[in-house]
Amino acid sequence: MSDESLRTPFPQRAHAALEDAHLQEALGIATTRFIGLRKESFAGFPEGEALRDRARAIKEGTLQQLDLHLERLADNIERLGGHVHWVATGEEARDIVLRLCRDKGVRMAVKSKSMATEEIELNEALEAAGVKPVETDLGEYIIQLAHEKPSHIIAPAIHKTKGQVADLFSKELGGRFEADPEVLTAVARKELRQKFLDADMGITGANFAVAETGTIVLVTNEGNGRMVTSLPRIHVAVMGMEKVIPTMTDLMVFLAILARSATGQKLSSYTTLVRGPRQPGETEGPEELHLILMDNGRTRQIAGTLREALYCLRCGACLNVCPVYRQIGGHAYGYTYPGPIGILLTAMLKGAASVKDLAHASSLCGACKDVCPVRIDIPRMLVDLRAELDREKIAPWPERVVFRLARRAMTSPALFRLGASLGRVAQRPFVRNGRLRGLPLFLGRWTRTRDLPPVASRTFSERWPELDNSKDLERP
Amino acid sequence: MTSRAEFIGSIRREMAKTRGLFEARPAPRPADAGQAAEVVRRQMLERWPQALERFREEFERVGGDFHRVANMNEVPGVIRRIAEERRAKSVLSWHPWSLGLDLRASLGAEGFSVTVAPGDDPDAAARESHRDAAARAEIGVTGVDWALAETGTLVLVSGRGRPRSTSLLPATHVAVFGRDRLVESLEQVGVMLEGLHVNPALSMSGAVINFITGPSRTGDIELTLTRGVHGPKEVHAIFVDAPNFVKTPNFEKTQ
Repeated sequence: MSDESLRTPFPQRAHAALEDAHLQEALGIATTRFIGLRKESFAGFPEGEALRDRARAIKEGTLQQLDLHLERLADNIERLGGHVHWVATGEEARDIVLRLCRDKGVRMAVKSKSMATEEIELNEALEAAGVKPVETDLGEYIIQLAHEKPSHIIAPAIHKTKGQVADLFSKELGGRFEADPEVLTAVARKELRQKFLDADMGITGANFAVAETGTIVLVTNEGNGRMVTSLPRIHVAVMGMEKVIPTMTDLMVFLAILARSATGQKLSSYTTLVRGPRQPGETEGPEELHLILMDNGRTRQIAGTLREALYCLRCGACLNVCPVYRQIGGHAYGYTYPGPIGILLTAMLKGAASVKDLAHASSLCGACKDVCPVRIDIPRMLVDLRAELDREKIAPWPERVVFRLARRAMTSPALFRLGASLGRVAQRPFVRNGRLRGLPLFLGRWTRTRDLPPVASRTFSERWPELDNSKDLERP
Repeated sequence: MTSRAEFIGSIRREMAKTRGLFEARPAPRPADAGQAAEVVRRQMLERWPQALERFREEFERVGGDFHRVANMNEVPGVIRRIAEERRAKSVLSWHPWSLGLDLRASLGAEGFSVTVAPGDDPDAAARESHRDAAARAEIGVTGVDWALAETGTLVLVSGRGRPRSTSLLPATHVAVFGRDRLVESLEQVGVMLEGLHVNPALSMSGAVINFITGPSRTGDIELTLTRGVHGPKEVHAIFVDAPNFVKTPNFEKTQ
């Protein structure tokens, strides 16, 4: 997302991440821990598998009547005294928030963790307009102070050690703080408590929105989501339109699997259901509630290759298990959404061309699909995306030529035999100890880190007639 | 700026391309939600002891402190002990009508500073002053709308006399409830919320429902579990065997 990180190409970003010892250690600990917690949580929850199927069916069913559910949601929110804004692009979403800030004299906005506001780079826009955005999720607060971007969907600062956080707090907040999570958390509590009380606006995302009741649902562990929706006089929620679900019954299905998938908890500490601004008789709550319903490239995928990515709950489970994410971390991906699902979401929001390298940052092992609470078929969509990059001539030409030639050779027996014979001759200078090494030109990039088995001296089909197979095969 | 009609229009155009491609499977839900909620309530009249056991186990697992007393008269004593152990002097509470208990008469007379939420429609000045008191208070005392056994969760509905921040701003949250609040599963909570929605005679007075599962927590620094980030560091549940009150309705009747 940040221009800075995109100035270097993906292979270099990935390489830099692999060289970063701090990052490697932090990633290893965090992802292994998350995998264990999730596994443990589902192991004691036999009904979980059926709930995952139901959750998936609800997402699909909702997409099929998306127009109806969105209109119902909007009608209910307006009936409860809230305002609904429909925006096609991230820019429009930013403009709405900025206009609200201007009209209502907002100087400071407290935010609870929201990928949607990261997606539209809201903080930068607020700062430029003279409004101070304060991230209040501890992880987000840390990276905001460090002027960085989140590296994990649910644990934005996992790439930082406690020592780094202590140095950062000491430098930015004045004082000398111990490298103890307990101490550092207390520092943040004190610092942010006053901000909650002073802020004019609270900005959140939405984990879900229930159409039938007009309810915006926030899931947090720290309680900052509750602060942000209780104390400031204006609450603005920015939500991707695919987050709508039909009913409260559906919500319970998602709640039962969301925290388990993300952190291994049965439920997160706080699930907050917000239904309109402060109601008559209430002591607290915002005077105004605004819901910003955002398209930003999502509609295109209703009938597109990435349709299933619209099911995503943003739990982060697929990041933890991905062999690529586990090695390079979130920043190397270069956009708001990292990991396997992040590649698809980036393609959705920014177009296929933006992921021409990232589409290959997957071994297609399928671990992501296995842990996804709504069983999104990420590997299939990555393959579709690669096909699209080829079809649209976005992939570099040598890649397209090589694959085209490979396809011709693989689908024609004569060409295959010819290719095998040529390969046997051509590979001679490069075979050492029975492996292909140090190939020339661009092929060398492949063999730099891998050995290839050489083309066999005789192909399988050449050997076939000599094999004595008459005994094993009984023909009718 | 995009209008609602344009937004929905573009969705419909895309949806038209996919019609019939995918199987639609709406989620099963109670045919009569009001009746289903009544069925759950009747089941729980029988099953509350098991549910309470499970609640206690799960609540303690997520870091909650469980207390059990015989009747409402014993509740202030438990709160006093909690306060004394933490050297806390200021207590914030829901309005007696919502809590079933007036702590001003007990703790207030014992030297604690007790602030009670307004029970009527508070004006701007009353709201401001309550907020200041809430920001200073050390212990927040609330009722409970549902105590969810399978996850050890307290479900609280905001409204008149029951501010949302009583369970949020003070460092210690104390929740008081009786057997009629127990439910077993998330699914049952779903039934209750559906029942609430379909019955036009009943209406939530407030805007927010909070599911509270243990204290505020974070793992954002090296995944080390730390309590009390923004919300309470401690959550206490006081179960009252024979609450000598029957009111504290979850929801007020509208007009």
